[in-house]
Amino acid sequence: MPRSLPIDTNNLALWLLALALPLALIAALVSGPVSIDLAAALQQGWRGDGSDAVILWQLRLPRALLAILIGAALGMGGAAMQGMLRNPLAEPALLGVSSGAALAAILLLYYGLAWQSGWLLPVLAIVGAFVAVACVWMLAGRGASASRLVLAGVAINAFLSALMALALNYAPSMFAMQEIVFWLLGSLANRGWDQLLLALPFILAGAVLLFSARNYLRALSLGEASAASLGFRGHRYPLLVLLGIAAAVGAAVAVAGTIGFVGLVVPHLVRPLVRQDPGRLLWASALAGALLLLLADILVVNFVGAQELRIGAVTAFIGAPFFFWLIVSARRGQGS
Amino acid sequence: MAGQFGFTCRLRICWPRHVPVDGLRRRLSAQNDKLSMILLLRPFFFLLLLVVAPTISAESRVASLNLCIDQVLLNWVAPQRIASVTWLSGDEHYRKAPLPEHVVLNRGRAEELLRLHPDLVLVGQYGAQRAAKRLRELGLRVVDIPDAYSLAQLVQQLDALQQALGDNSALAAQRRRLQQLLAESAVPGGASALILSANNITYGSGMLESQLLERAGFENLAARDGAGQLRRVSLEEVVAAQPDLLVLYGGDDEFALAHLAERHPVIRRYVDSGRVFTLPAELGFCPVLVAADVLQQLKEKRESLASKSSDRHQ
Repeated sequence: MPRSLPIDTNNLALWLLALALPLALIAALVSGPVSIDLAAALQQGWRGDGSDAVILWQLRLPRALLAILIGAALGMGGAAMQGMLRNPLAEPALLGVSSGAALAAILLLYYGLAWQSGWLLPVLAIVGAFVAVACVWMLAGRGASASRLVLAGVAINAFLSALMALALNYAPSMFAMQEIVFWLLGSLANRGWDQLLLALPFILAGAVLLFSARNYLRALSLGEASAASLGFRGHRYPLLVLLGIAAAVGAAVAVAGTIGFVGLVVPHLVRPLVRQDPGRLLWASALAGALLLLLADILVVNFVGAQELRIGAVTAFIGAPFFFWLIVSARRGQGS
Repeated sequence: MAGQFGFTCRLRICWPRHVPVDGLRRRLSAQNDKLSMILLLRPFFFLLLLVVAPTISAESRVASLNLCIDQVLLNWVAPQRIASVTWLSGDEHYRKAPLPEHVVLNRGRAEELLRLHPDLVLVGQYGAQRAAKRLRELGLRVVDIPDAYSLAQLVQQLDALQQALGDNSALAAQRRRLQQLLAESAVPGGASALILSANNITYGSGMLESQLLERAGFENLAARDGAGQLRRVSLEEVVAAQPDLLVLYGGDDEFALAHLAERHPVIRRYVDSGRVFTLPAELGFCPVLVAADVLQQLKEKRESLASKSSDRHQ
C-alpha cells in the first residue's frame, strides 16, 4: 500500500486543518486584552448582561466568525482566480475586485459622506467590486481568453490604483488620509454582528456561484480548448466565476478593508493537498484561508502596542516570506 | 467685545506710552491753570476718541500662525482687527465662529503676512517657527503664545493672550470663569469615567482631559490603571471596566473609521442609559475655547448621574 500513503497524508492534513479551525476559534474566544471566565460567559448566554458575556458574545465571537468568513472568502476567491486564469500568481486583486471595493470605500471616506444607516460604506464597497469586475469583463470582451482577462484586469486594477493614489494625494485633511491608509491596511477591530450579517449573504452567494463552477475550473485545467470540447464554452462560466469572486471578495473587503496575500498564498499552500484539483481547491482554500486569517487576528488581538496592529500588515508579513521560500525552492529545483 | 478693544486703543492714544500716567498727573497738578482747561475739555476728548476709535482699532490688526489662536481671534476679537488666520480655519471642521470676508487665509509663510502689514503676529509654541523668525527679523511684532496641555497651562495661555491682545472682556471673562471653576473644591471621585477617543485611544493622568474629569469629580479609570499619557483601549477593556460615564471625543455625525468603536452595539447601552458624554473636538486642538464649558458640563453630568443613582437606590 505504499502508493496510497501520500493520499492519506493529504487527507489527514486536510482533516487536521478542519480540526484546527474550531481549536483556533476557541483560542480566539479565550484570548484578548481582558481575561474572561469563558464557562461563566457561555452559561450566561447570548443575552447575558455581565461584562464577560458581553465580551464573549458581542465582541469576540462576531470578530472571530468574521475572520473565518473573510479568510474563507479570500482563500476561495484566490483559488477560483488561479483556476480560471490558470496562473498560480493570480489573486482576486488582479481583476480589480479588491481595488474596486477599496476605491468606493475611499471615495466615501474622502468626501466624509454622512453615515446614514451604518450600511453605506460596505454596500458601496460591494457595488465598487461589481463595477470593477464589470469593467474588466467589458474591456476583455465576450468570450475572452484567460490572458486577455488578465490584461484587462491589470489595466483596470492599475487605473483604480492610480485613482486611489490620487485620492490619497489630494486627501482633504490628515484625518481623511489616515482613514484611507487604515482602510487599505485592513482591520477586524470594532466589528460586530452587523458587519458579519452584511457580509454573510454576499459571501455565501459567492461561494455558491464558485462551487457551481467547480467542474468548469476542473475542465479548464486541461486547457481552454479541452474545456470547450467538454461543453464549457461561451461566457456563462467565466461570468459565473467573476460574479462569485466579486460577491465574496467584495463583501470581505467591504467590511474589513483590503487584506492582501491570503488569496495568493493559501491556494499555493493547499494545492498539493488536493492533488491539484481546482474543484476541491475551492473548499480547501476556504478552510485554510479561514484558519490563516483567524490565527493572524489572534496575533493582532494579543499584540501589545500604542496602536492596533493592522491585520493586512500581518498577512503581508506572512505572504512575503512565503514568496522568498517559493523562489528559493525553485532555485533549488533548478540546481538539482 | 469690540468696544472694549476700542477703549484700550483710545487709552493708548490719550496717554502715550513714553509718558507714565502718574508722571502726567504730577505735571498737571503743577500747572493748575492748565488743569481747569483740560478738565473742561475732557468730555470733548472722549467724544473725539469715540469718533476716531473704529479707525484706530482697525489699524491694530492681528495675524495668526496657529490654528488655536485663529479660533481665539475669530471667537473673541473684533473682526476688523483680524488680518489673517491659517488656512485650516477655512475648514468648518475646525471653526465654529464665522470667518469675516476680509480675513486672509495663510499657509504659515512669512511673505503672506508681510504684505498684509499686521501690527501683531501671534504664533504658537510649535509650527510656523521659520516664518515667525523671518517676520521678527523684518521688524514685525511677533508674540509666542504657549500651548496648553493642562489646566495650569490654560490659565498661562489666557494670560499670554491677554498680554498680547490687550484688555479683552471675553478673554478676561473666560479666565475668571476658569479660575472660579478651578477654585471650587473638587468633589471626591464618586463616579468613574473612561475616555474612548478616535482609534480606540484613551487619556491618562497627564492629559488635560483627565484633569477635567477629575476636577468634575470623576475618577478616570485609565489614570487609575497607570496610564500617564495616551493609551490604546479596546472595546473589551471598556466593557470590563464598566465606567459610570463613557466619555467620547469629537466624532461628528459623519462616519469615520476612527470612530467605528463608538458605533458598536456594546456602546449603545451607554447611550441608551444616558451615561455618555461627548467632549467637543475643539478641546483637542484649542482647549482654551471650551475647557470652562466642558468642566461645567461635566460637573452637571456627574450631579445628574448621582441623582439618578440615588433615585434607583430609593
